Amino acid sequence: MASDERIRDIGLIRRSISRPELGSVFGLIIIVITFMTLTSISGTFGAMWLNPIGIQAWVELAAFVGILAIGASLLMIAGEFDLSMGANIALAGHSFAIFLLFGVPIELAIILTFIELAFLGFIIGVIVVRTGLPSFIVTLAFWFASRGFAVFLSQTFFNQSRLSVKANLKPPPGGGEDPTLIDNIFAFDKAFGVPFDAEVYYFIILVFIVAFITNRTPYGNWIYASGGDPVAARAVGVPVARVKISLFMISTSLACLLGILTVMTSGASDPKAGDFRELHAIAAAVIGGCALTGGYGSVVGAVLGALIFAIASRGINFVPFIDNNLFRVMLGMLILGSALLNQFLRDRIVKG
Amino acid sequence: MIPSIEFRGVSKFFGNIIALKDISFKVFKGEITALLGDNGAGKSTLIKLLSGVHMPSEGEILLSGEPVNFKSPRQAVSAGIGTVYQDLALQPLMSVTRNFFLGREITKGLFLNMPLMNTITKKEMAKLGIDVADPTQPIGTMSGGQRQTLAIARAIYFGANILILDEPTSALGQKQQLEVLRTIKKVKELGDIAIIFITHNDMHAKLLGDRFAFLNRGKVLAEGSRDEIDMNNLRPLMAGGAELEKLETEFSGR
Repeated sequence: MASDERIRDIGLIRRSISRPELGSVFGLIIIVITFMTLTSISGTFGAMWLNPIGIQAWVELAAFVGILAIGASLLMIAGEFDLSMGANIALAGHSFAIFLLFGVPIELAIILTFIELAFLGFIIGVIVVRTGLPSFIVTLAFWFASRGFAVFLSQTFFNQSRLSVKANLKPPPGGGEDPTLIDNIFAFDKAFGVPFDAEVYYFIILVFIVAFITNRTPYGNWIYASGGDPVAARAVGVPVARVKISLFMISTSLACLLGILTVMTSGASDPKAGDFRELHAIAAAVIGGCALTGGYGSVVGAVLGALIFAIASRGINFVPFIDNNLFRVMLGMLILGSALLNQFLRDRIVKG
Repeated sequence: MIPSIEFRGVSKFFGNIIALKDISFKVFKGEITALLGDNGAGKSTLIKLLSGVHMPSEGEILLSGEPVNFKSPRQAVSAGIGTVYQDLALQPLMSVTRNFFLGREITKGLFLNMPLMNTITKKEMAKLGIDVADPTQPIGTMSGGQRQTLAIARAIYFGANILILDEPTSALGQKQQLEVLRTIKKVKELGDIAIIFITHNDMHAKLLGDRFAFLNRGKVLAEGSRDEIDMNNLRPLMAGGAELEKLETEFSGR
């Protein structure tokens, strides 16, 4: 194959231009340079980039948004949306807390909550696939319903919307400083004294697994085909409906993971947990090169998108001379610019 | 010789609409049967009957002499009927190899065996006269004719011995049309595949067809081999309508 004279040596630049992550690689470089410059000017460079607490601030946010963005990007590649992700975080947190308050052992509570959320994803997926309604509409309904149901349950059973479960979480082995911290394997961060919240480690593991699945398995192929041209995919035997339903289940399960972790680390379930996070995750996916029309994008891109979001989001706190509200303006422009850049790059692929 | 596929008095009704009425024709392996008809002649319905999307309301379809009744496209595919639709069922942003194997990937354990799939893709495309330099490129970079060839090569590789080509030349430019005709010729030369070439281009039909069937307003106007059909009348036959009577006398007189 190497001796084929028809292979043009397109070089690294042209070859990498056809990668969906390309735009977000540029974006990340620009954002890092921008904030390194801005923090240098305001004398906070060390606080953001060298100080462990400063690094934690944006790395943990990137992981939180990034875990959701994995689900968001998979769904977008398959041509679907999940607006209910943020609300499902609250539903998962509340469900978990309610199970605990009813005396369910913590391990069982985790399993039950995952089953509940996976089932919710199954329901959403079936509605989308069977009715043909846009997933935007279906999951908008659950954006209201999930959080509403969570608060309704807690109000009904415990007459409060915020559920404290500190007493139900076991203290770490050997005492530890804070008796309310969790000793179990699930939210291992404080128990093992590692520098970041558990989200960060889950995030890194998940990215590797999902990137591998999307690039190197038949299922990954089917995800792309389901979004690219579902009719064509079905014609060659791709189980498009099942692929989409499974992705909604993955999306709700990721929200579940975050919901449970949030309760474990804070000792309480807040009805506001995960508010607007679905939009942040979708923003990360868009910045990372996912096409809203489906069939194109990458999980790695979405991860870079989440990093960009987190650095910009937390970085603004280290730059006192820029108004915090300007952050939203900047983020908006960032999304717009990324979408334009990605569209340009995508066209280049089709035209060769 | 037993026909690879034979329609015997097949009709298809949708409510009070008669889409196809009393259709009969034969297709043999190693031959190209050109199925001609204008828009609305019932070609699409015929393809759907062949590929298992619809079941006939009357009559029977015989596969190598055995009556068959496809209840789903999957059954038709496993019986060796490969349909290449006009839209080709390809994913423009995915690579040549991934398109070739989409839905039927070769795996090594849990993971895709990309090197093997790349090799097979190159080999199968070469059989039909297309040299794919780099099968990892997205097919967005291929010409329309090459994409058509990819769809055909894929159908053959996955066991089609009856190949249905739905207007393979209609959406292409002149040069690419010739490319596709050449591909179809190559498929014929493989020898063991029966080809149903659906077209409304009489020139293309004439170039390639061994047998012809003319469809007009849901009916077969004429059917037969090259010798049995007056080649100069391909065009009027396709148009049907006013020419109908004249042609009927012509054929009854043979």
